[in-house]
Amino acid sequence: MKLHIDPRTKLFMIFAVSIIVMIPAVSPATWALRTGVTLIPLVLLLFEKKYIPALAFTVLYAVAAVLTLLFISSESTGVLYALLVGYCGIIVQFMPSVITAWYAIKTTKIDEFMAAMQKMHMPDGISVSLAVVMRFFPTIKEEYGSISDAMKMRGILFGGGKVGKMLEYRIIPLLFSCVNIGEELSAAAVTRGLGAPVKRSSICELKIGAADITLFAVLTVSTAALIILKTGIVG
Amino acid sequence: MIELKDVDFSYKGTDEAGLHSITLTVNDGETVLLCGESGCGKTTLTRLINGLIPHYYKGELSGSVTVNGRNIAETELYELAGTVGTVFQNPRSQFFSIDTDGEIVFGPENIGMSPAEIMKRKEQVAQDMELTPLLGRSLFELSGGEKQKIACASVSALLPEIMILDEPSSNLDWKAISELKNIISLWKSQGRTVIISEHRLWYLAGLVDRILFMRNGVIEHEWNSREFAGLDTDELKRLGLRPTKLEERYIREFGDGIFGSSTEQMRSYQSKDGDIRIRDMFFSYEKRRKKELAADPDKCTLSIPELDIPRGSVTALTGENGAGKSTFLRCLCGLKKSCTVKLDIGESVYSGRKLLKICYMVMQDVDHQLFTDSVTAEVCLSMKDEDTAKCNGILESLGLLGFKDKHPMALSGGQKQRVAIASALAADAELLLFDEPTSGLDYAHMTSVAKLLKQLSDQGRTVIVSTHDPELIALCCDYVLCLERGRVKYFGEV
Repeated sequence: MKLHIDPRTKLFMIFAVSIIVMIPAVSPATWALRTGVTLIPLVLLLFEKKYIPALAFTVLYAVAAVLTLLFISSESTGVLYALLVGYCGIIVQFMPSVITAWYAIKTTKIDEFMAAMQKMHMPDGISVSLAVVMRFFPTIKEEYGSISDAMKMRGILFGGGKVGKMLEYRIIPLLFSCVNIGEELSAAAVTRGLGAPVKRSSICELKIGAADITLFAVLTVSTAALIILKTGIVG
Repeated sequence: MIELKDVDFSYKGTDEAGLHSITLTVNDGETVLLCGESGCGKTTLTRLINGLIPHYYKGELSGSVTVNGRNIAETELYELAGTVGTVFQNPRSQFFSIDTDGEIVFGPENIGMSPAEIMKRKEQVAQDMELTPLLGRSLFELSGGEKQKIACASVSALLPEIMILDEPSSNLDWKAISELKNIISLWKSQGRTVIISEHRLWYLAGLVDRILFMRNGVIEHEWNSREFAGLDTDELKRLGLRPTKLEERYIREFGDGIFGSSTEQMRSYQSKDGDIRIRDMFFSYEKRRKKELAADPDKCTLSIPELDIPRGSVTALTGENGAGKSTFLRCLCGLKKSCTVKLDIGESVYSGRKLLKICYMVMQDVDHQLFTDSVTAEVCLSMKDEDTAKCNGILESLGLLGFKDKHPMALSGGQKQRVAIASALAADAELLLFDEPTSGLDYAHMTSVAKLLKQLSDQGRTVIVSTHDPELIALCCDYVLCLERGRVKYFGEV
């Protein structure tokens, strides 16, 4: 089954999921809320047929949750505890947002994205720049892969024994090729009329479906609930 | 009509060569070829017409450029979008979308056409250029030839009266080139003006009306098609141009082998002692266990049970775009972990990670494999123990000694390629693999690559070079290995 979500819903989803999982949870109610919302990125992974990452994420999350509940308190000190807190924080508070953002970027066509931005009356400058960034992700991945291959052939995948070089060898060629591609890409885009001071049209029709409405409702209610719990308006 | 009057241009901030006193008139409906060696100013001239100069690339510009009565310097780029269309050399960096449909409608959307009209345009262009089967696909899964077709279609969708193509055949196989040729003749028959900058000349003979030869930023010669056809190979060679006829002879010879069904005329190779033996080369892009691969070779993307390659020779690796040439090279040098390939050289057997030590691939985009800040450091990086004498020896044999302290990124394309080769030699790689080293090169550079490959094999290295360039094969290759759908179609002497 293919899930189709409107780009606007995806944007709202990134925003809402990030707020809910990143705000520190202390009471059982906020914990429950956060865990509930974390199910959303998990379901998204399943829809994209990423079964192994989904399983890995579930396990990591469960471990982190148990560790947090059993061992970490406000009195924890020491290096081991610092590492534990770091691990749990990354898994519980960042991974759900990262997965949601990955999903949004992977499943949104540039055309769809531009149409959605226009519907929201975003200035062209902003939507075009964001579109270019999105267009660049697969390119960076491709370039990064070629550079890794080249490093393997040279036997310097790990910097040839020098830790400091590891990053340098990887980043410098990547920057060179991305700058070149970026320059050629924008030259090609402007010769095809990008940046004309007319209202850009789009053949892409956006439809709000049941999935959008459900997600929107769930996320709005969860965000509201979190605000109420946090500010302590009730109880 | 395009009119250039006394145009002088020099780039700001780079050494890229400019143009000097260019005066040129191109009439409506004319097809013009720009030729000349790399850096002669062909691309710069096209940038003057599509407005990228002076609006995108900055520099000193004098004289006047008018296109259809509009002064380019005073016309914004987006206003030119419906008048001049440009197909760039590298499809990788001219696609804005990730799917074919999105790419074709990108231009019309930018100028705010109505959705209904855009759909009509898309259908029309797809029908004219016969690319209906490509609609709705991801751009990343297309072959080089298909990408170039989509690039042409996406420019054509704006219906510009003037089409500019900048070295469009660089990454194409012979079949894709003939399709490109059809597209150009379609545009010609529609009465559009076509300007092509190109090194490969054979496929354009009979298609272009006028040929301009450029050198050092000046238009040095001008021929009509009849005069141009009359130039003999020696004259072309003197001008540094690729032949206009020779390649076609090779297409008949090799092209039939690659695209046709008959392979009888190829003398197939009889293995002898001392050959390098490639065996059990099975690879699939789907995730499978190694044992399953060998057990079920029919399902593999790449399946070569056994192949002997003579040591110290140059082998051309040919085949259609998408036949598995790059995959073959990447498997052979150990970059595909799941490939089961084993390599017998003399008494030793190499497989898995050991392949990385014995094989070295010079990539098509050589920028990816230069990591340090000087040529010497680049070579020394490949050595276990730094050995200055050996390093200098290698640099000297490749004519790089004079550049030993330069930054690799500051060198020209051909020099960078040689630095990459130098680092392969420093690593004592026995088998040197080249991925399309001559795509987009002019005659002089192509022949120097050919000499270099010959030199490497004379030193006892075994060279495998993937190429679409029949002239390169004619100049330096001893054997031809042709792949088809990941299988060996034939392996024989040239």
